[in-house]
Amino acid sequence: MAQRIVVLVEHLYGEPTDVTFELLGLARRIADSDGAIVEAVLLGEGVRHLAETLPAERVILVEHPALRYLAPEATAITVTGLLRTDAPRLALLPNTSLGMDVAAWVASALDWPLVAYCQALERREGQLVATAQLFGGKILADVAVGTSPTVISVLAGAFAAAALEPAAPGTIEVREPPAELAALRTHAASLERPAAADVDITRAEKIVAVGRGIESKDNLELAEELAQALGAVVAASRPLVDAGWLPRSRQVGKSGLKVKPKLYLALGISGAPEHLEGMKDAELIIAINKDPKAPIFGVADYGAVADLFDVVEALLERLGG
Amino acid sequence: MLTTPERIAFVLVALLSLLLTAHGVSRLVRAIGRGQGRPRWSTFLRRVVPVSFEILLQRPIFRARPLVSLLHAGVFFAFVFYGLVNVLDVAEGFTGFSTLHRGGIAAAYNVVADLLSVAALVGILGLLVRRFGLRPFRFNDRVFLLPSVHFGIARDSAIVGGFILLHVGSRWIGQAVRIAESGRPDWSQPTASLVATLFSSWSDTALAAASHITWWLALGLILAFLPYFPYSKHIHLFMAPLNLILREESPLGRLEPPVTGDGTMGAERLEQLRWYQLLDAYACIMCNRCQDVCPAHGTGRALSPAALEINKRYYLNRNLSAFAGGASSPPLLEIAASKEAVWACTTCAACVRICPVGNRPMLDLIDMRHALVSRGDPIDPNLQAALESLARYGNSFGKPARQRARWAKELPFPIKDARKEPVEYVWFVGDFASFDPRMQENTKTVAQLFHAAGVDFGILYEDERNAGNDVRRVGEEGLFELLVEHNLAALEKAQFRAIVTTDPHTYNALKNEYPAYGLRVPVYHYTEILADLLERGVLRVQQPLAAAVTYHDPCYLGRYNRITGAPRRIIRALGLELREMPRHGANTYCCGAGGGQIWMDSGGQERPSEQRIREAVGLGDDLRYFVVSCPKDMAMYSDAVKTTGYEGRLTVIDVARLVATAVGIDGVARESVSVESEAR
Amino acid sequence: MTIVVVMEQVPDVAEELAIAPSGTDLDRDAISYVVNEYDEHALEEALLLAETSGDEVVAIGIDATGELDQALYTALAKGAQRAIKLTGDFEGTWLSTRTAARLLAPVIEELAPRLVLVGVQAPDDLDGQLAPTLAALLGWPHASVVVGSELVNGMVRVRKELWGGITMLLELALPAVLGIQAARQAPRYVPVSRVRQVMREASIEVRDVEVTSDLAPVPVRLRFPEETGQAELLTGSASEIADRLIELLRARGLL
Ligand SMILES: Cc1cc2nc3c(=O)[nH]c(=O)nc-3n(C[C@H](O)[C@H](O)[C@H](O)COP(=O)(O)OP(=O)(O)OC[C@H]3O[C@@H](n4cnc5c(N)ncnc54)[C@H](O)[C@@H]3O)c2cc1C
Repeated sequence: MAQRIVVLVEHLYGEPTDVTFELLGLARRIADSDGAIVEAVLLGEGVRHLAETLPAERVILVEHPALRYLAPEATAITVTGLLRTDAPRLALLPNTSLGMDVAAWVASALDWPLVAYCQALERREGQLVATAQLFGGKILADVAVGTSPTVISVLAGAFAAAALEPAAPGTIEVREPPAELAALRTHAASLERPAAADVDITRAEKIVAVGRGIESKDNLELAEELAQALGAVVAASRPLVDAGWLPRSRQVGKSGLKVKPKLYLALGISGAPEHLEGMKDAELIIAINKDPKAPIFGVADYGAVADLFDVVEALLERLGG
Repeated sequence: MLTTPERIAFVLVALLSLLLTAHGVSRLVRAIGRGQGRPRWSTFLRRVVPVSFEILLQRPIFRARPLVSLLHAGVFFAFVFYGLVNVLDVAEGFTGFSTLHRGGIAAAYNVVADLLSVAALVGILGLLVRRFGLRPFRFNDRVFLLPSVHFGIARDSAIVGGFILLHVGSRWIGQAVRIAESGRPDWSQPTASLVATLFSSWSDTALAAASHITWWLALGLILAFLPYFPYSKHIHLFMAPLNLILREESPLGRLEPPVTGDGTMGAERLEQLRWYQLLDAYACIMCNRCQDVCPAHGTGRALSPAALEINKRYYLNRNLSAFAGGASSPPLLEIAASKEAVWACTTCAACVRICPVGNRPMLDLIDMRHALVSRGDPIDPNLQAALESLARYGNSFGKPARQRARWAKELPFPIKDARKEPVEYVWFVGDFASFDPRMQENTKTVAQLFHAAGVDFGILYEDERNAGNDVRRVGEEGLFELLVEHNLAALEKAQFRAIVTTDPHTYNALKNEYPAYGLRVPVYHYTEILADLLERGVLRVQQPLAAAVTYHDPCYLGRYNRITGAPRRIIRALGLELREMPRHGANTYCCGAGGGQIWMDSGGQERPSEQRIREAVGLGDDLRYFVVSCPKDMAMYSDAVKTTGYEGRLTVIDVARLVATAVGIDGVARESVSVESEAR
Repeated sequence: MTIVVVMEQVPDVAEELAIAPSGTDLDRDAISYVVNEYDEHALEEALLLAETSGDEVVAIGIDATGELDQALYTALAKGAQRAIKLTGDFEGTWLSTRTAARLLAPVIEELAPRLVLVGVQAPDDLDGQLAPTLAALLGWPHASVVVGSELVNGMVRVRKELWGGITMLLELALPAVLGIQAARQAPRYVPVSRVRQVMREASIEVRDVEVTSDLAPVPVRLRFPEETGQAELLTGSASEIADRLIELLRARGLL
């Protein structure tokens, strides 16, 4: 029998999340190299219609009201039950808020090995090696994945997503929810969307940050537009906040807020130490500045020595459609 | 001469008045006695003569506001002399003895009394016109004031001013009346004689009545006023000199360890302040000079050192018997200053220096911080991060200690490890100079200068910790002690003659605070060493610089430790033209970073550093450099020239960089280019 | 009743890290340790819960570094009532999450708490996070990435953060295990003098524990990620730069 690679389908508000496709893509690549089959585990309530959209050979579907939001206890118990009977070679779960509560629980309950924070999974000299990102990203750990069933908890955004259209729609296999779901000790799960009122830049995934290079309050509109096009929020260096152009809640830095977004686009910010203190841990820093010697380039991943207005306009042209 | 009933009445009223006054004074003394610690009378004996002399010369008052001080001097000298005048006047009332129309010593006495009366009248009228006409005493509206203060200050000023006016005025006019009675002018009382002409047409009975009335007004008023005296600001008459005399001669930069109770530290309530901090409230004359020089108040923050003292005073006035009797006061945060005010102080000590009566409101604020921190009151998150970093790494930058001497790796020569080989100087570099990338360039320059001059120096590498000056001043005494212990242990490992430091805050701590923990070595600021090297010709100016500059005295250097000459000597030796800002030397204005503000930076409207840059810009369009000698100043002012829009016009530069350029040290070529091209 | 907080010491990632010659662990001699920052939040949340519920807060940790005392004393100074440290033959080794959970579980069971709070993750969690691992061993309900909690009607109501500001609200029967992402308010500051006082007056309970399962994590080789160094400069006209930027963002799934 072909070996199986199982992927937990994460979904929210009736849609699979991006990371799900990344995991399926990863599973696909490994499966292609050793002939395994990819199985998506779809848990939820009223999610059957999602099964068709999943690029996998087989979709295992378990539906139960307690699985509606993939709350930790119910999901962990259900996944454990499935894995125990199916014993796949690999179980790939996202290292997200939802996945984290399942992966370690399942691995612990089954006493299977677990590699968390996985950012790469590849075959090296015939051996499957998972690379985990540890110690604040300062150290990578290569872990040889043995032949016994292993759980891998994968970082979101680390892998390319699989093509949306499954080559051939997989078979759907419906399983009974485990009996334990009747006696859960977790109740009343519900979701809450953020109140749209105030922007919390410390929670934003993408930030367009502006500095004195923006020159005037009126020009902030440009930054706002760009932010909207990118799905980002606008933050600023202190002088802009001091000038009253933006509220203090938008200030990044030593005397402002510390942020850690996925994208930090710095426009016309010189990169004084007090500013860097607040944003240097952002995952991707891109800086646009006229001055090639601006210290911001020291922490940026990408930089462009250019006039920010030109670049922003060019960006808007492309994004604004 | 008084009638017998008048005499009896005077004696009775005097007794009653003295009794009431004694009662008030004793409560007051007991209230002050509730403060922690006790005055040392040996201090009193040692200082009473010299300090009284200072006061007689009105030195503390003339430190600011010359015109107002002159008016005050008039009232002051009159009052001192009136001690004698009043005694003689009482004697006259009772015995009929009079100095009128006499020669010799009596005439001299008359001349002085006569002229001083006028001086006092002019003085007090001037002061009253100023207070009530010009209304110069305003607190910004974020300052906390007790409700009773608003009206209280005006009422108290009116009563005291009115009393002086009436008392001196009555005596003066009384003398005129008596001269008129005698029928001829008394040349030893010229002004009173002049006034006497007004009464020339009065009948004898009218004059006799007027003589009695003015006598009673002059002296009876004292009796009426006396019981109120302890509650009035007039008490500063005694309390101010006492405050000045009893003040220990320890340096301004040495804090006493905070008062500790069970589990608490510092001052949460009035009675946890030290005795002299309670005395401060009584010495205060509400002149608000401290507020004028306070950078926090000047930038619209909630702090006024004057309001603090005045609040204390009014609280005590209203609750004196309870407090003197041992009742606990409400928290200082409810009666003296708001929490916001407590955290706004930069500990620049301008208030302490300017105060004519020797008050130290800054100490109250630091004690209140101690109390807040020790009882775990939430503190500013950025301050908390700094303190946690200081506890963990020994610096506020959140950088591992091992990275402290990283800058040294970029030098073309090694710096000695003072822990491993003997050196003449241990260079205690300081946090900002070690970790702030803007400052590291300066730090390297200083190293190169020392190296070029053959100074035998070394550093403590990762064993150096923040010296703790500002840690202590934000009220984290335990952390301060921890840092001291670390540093002393590190210094223990080294063999050296003296310490040199780049940072005035560090300088202050090592020089003034560390001796209490056993450090006894000379401590120098790097400007002192550089000045000396230039003057001895060890560092030789190759190309004199020609530019107009101004120099900013760091509080902890210029005001606290009076090192104002060395940096100026350097600037002149380099050929630069030094223009002084109006506030310089010991009167310098704070950059806003001290006392832990650099870790909080709560904004405010305008920053002190921005006001300061404007002050410098006022010195002329051709002013090129704003010279600093403190790493924190470098951070504060290079930011402020940007925010004020003077970037490009005024350059903030460390004095060491200028020296390096002038003496032509390699490795600092980048900076030299710009300086030299401008120098031409 | 009791709330247990697990305090773990982890290598300080602000420091430069070195890899041991074996290549399978960090160079433990060159490391300095700090309390896992999320554990500080767990402690704060526990203290805040206890302030209203009156529970006793017990801080417990495995002393794998020989330096745990400081962390536990600090917890006591902040307001924990008891501190327990587990000692054994594992000093200076890399304890896997699962081994740690196995050492902790029996001690926690004996304390019979209502709640166990741990930091949501730690920098060395190679085999997963402690909260779910512990929950599986104890058989108690759990939730991670918790940003708020409240004890009501014999349950704990928690707010679990998903992403983009979306949160999941859950009610867990007690006892439960929570992985705390952020306490309701920033962890409090405790003055050094108070910590020193606690060190003089309070004491830490010590339990010797035996490690049964193997300590070594799965076969592993550590390395440093490739240096990224200075910014990669994008050159050309504004449009070219914009094109490249869009490409970059697309590639990273940011568009
Ligand atoms: C105690 C303290 C605390 C502080 N806290 C903070 C803090 O929390 N946050 C903070 O941000 N700052 C803080 N600062 C201020 C900090 O030192 C800097 O002054 C500030 O960050 C500078 O802001 P900026 O980069 O926007 O401005 P600048 O330094 O003036 O930089 C403007 C940049 O824009 C570039 N530019 C200009 N025009 C263009 C254009 N058309 N296209 C492209 N680029 C252009 C310029 O080359 C320059 O690099 C603090 C300072 C102190 C002393």
